[in-house]
Amino acid sequence: MKKDTDVKTTVDRMRYTKNKQAANLAILAILFDVFYFVNIYKSDVSNYYYNILIGGSIVFNLLFMLAAFLCSEEIKQYNEKYCYLLLAMGVIQFIRIFIIPMAAHNATVVIANVETQVMKDGQFTRCLLYLIISGVCCVAGALIGIARSRKLKAYVATLGEEKRRD
Amino acid sequence: MANLKLQHIDKIYDGGVKAVEDFNLDVQDGELIVLVGPSGCGKSTTLRMVAGLEDISNGHLLLDGKDITRVPAKDRDMAMVFQNYALYGHMTIYENMAFSLTLRKEDPNVIHKKVLAAAEILNLTTQLNKKPGQLSGGQRQRVAMGRAIVRTPKVFLFDEPLSNLDAKLRGSTRREILLLHKRLQATMMYVTHDQTEALTLADRIVCMSMGKVQQIGTPLELYDHPANIFVATFIGLPPMNMFDVTVRADHLEGKGFKAPLDAESKKILKNYVGKEIVLGVRPENLVEGKDIAVKVTDNENLGMNTLVHGHIQDGDKTFDRVVCKLRGWCNYKSGDTAMISINRMHFFDKDTTVAITGKESK
Repeated sequence: MKKDTDVKTTVDRMRYTKNKQAANLAILAILFDVFYFVNIYKSDVSNYYYNILIGGSIVFNLLFMLAAFLCSEEIKQYNEKYCYLLLAMGVIQFIRIFIIPMAAHNATVVIANVETQVMKDGQFTRCLLYLIISGVCCVAGALIGIARSRKLKAYVATLGEEKRRD
Repeated sequence: MANLKLQHIDKIYDGGVKAVEDFNLDVQDGELIVLVGPSGCGKSTTLRMVAGLEDISNGHLLLDGKDITRVPAKDRDMAMVFQNYALYGHMTIYENMAFSLTLRKEDPNVIHKKVLAAAEILNLTTQLNKKPGQLSGGQRQRVAMGRAIVRTPKVFLFDEPLSNLDAKLRGSTRREILLLHKRLQATMMYVTHDQTEALTLADRIVCMSMGKVQQIGTPLELYDHPANIFVATFIGLPPMNMFDVTVRADHLEGKGFKAPLDAESKKILKNYVGKEIVLGVRPENLVEGKDIAVKVTDNENLGMNTLVHGHIQDGDKTFDRVVCKLRGWCNYKSGDTAMISINRMHFFDKDTTVAITGKESK
């Protein structure tokens, strides 16, 4: 019985407190995305592996940061729609692993008549790690956001029901 | 709640300036004490010393018998409400009220219950998700009070909490503070320079001037039996009229008037016959009569009463200024003569300014 009351209080508390946990995870996702692009633009080889993908990646990173920040602010207010956007962004972060890091890791360039791997193992591992963490943060933030938003929505609906009964 | 004792408290600033001198007070459990006095009299300094925001130069401060003179402010278990609200503008009302408990790392569910209970008391439940900037002055002050309530402190301290509010809001917020006191039964110290607040709120009033306590008593005691000329003129609106008079066997002789003495007044003044004293008469104790002529300079109709301003008149000569609060609607014009009588007198020693009660003659 006591546990039920505590659960009810915890949900009731959500009416006045922000969903900071989910919002902070979205911010963390931005941070690791920053680590990722700083790492990818700082190539280990002197002949920079540069093509249209890198240009696209710069634009995508900018959009990602803006969108993730917007999601963070909206999820803070228990806006469920933006949780789905963040979830999609998390999935995209995982897909990105197969675009630049994988491609660059498999590609070679000739530097001073020596065939050199564009992205060496160390840089590849770091890129992989940052994208995975960023993606996990997005997905976790989104899932927490969805769960809490739904819980709050259901609770507020019962409050409305109680008011009508009164 | 708590019992608070201030024993021989002094506040001496650098350079030897004495802001508060030999302040003694025993605040009973659940009592609402109001410190009142003009600006610069040391009332806020006294409150800040109690809160721990100012060091106490001399004396002792006891809370429930425990000496807390040197205890830091955070460990005194007192909550202070400031004139300027001191709310965090970027936080919601809920977060503002919960802030002190969050810093103490209390259980969020317990904090939630306390905040909701305080909001219910202060009628702020619908405002909890708003920011302070979206609230009116009165609502902001209620939030400041709520922030104090959630801490359930031993003593509440209020430093001129209504000074930033307009007259109408001040009246309603004052009633809310009074209801809050009745509901919480908490020990409270309240600082104001507004005598109306002091008279309506206080269980006991401490009247201060120049860093010294002038009188401690119930509102009625201060109004009816002021200890000296300062208290007599400070408490009551309009202030008490003061006249220099000479005591005769059966009357008082002032500049331009004679006022008959009743038996009780004669008894009080029996050692002052032939001497000069100060006669104090409240404007509401001057009634239409036949003893004193007043040359009217101004007539202010207030509805139930009329304030008649003028000078004591004797023939063509005019003397001391006088304000009468006459019942009903009067239509005196400037230059008219109004005849008045005194129905209640206060006597003060001219040298010491202390009230003459008749007891000092024994």
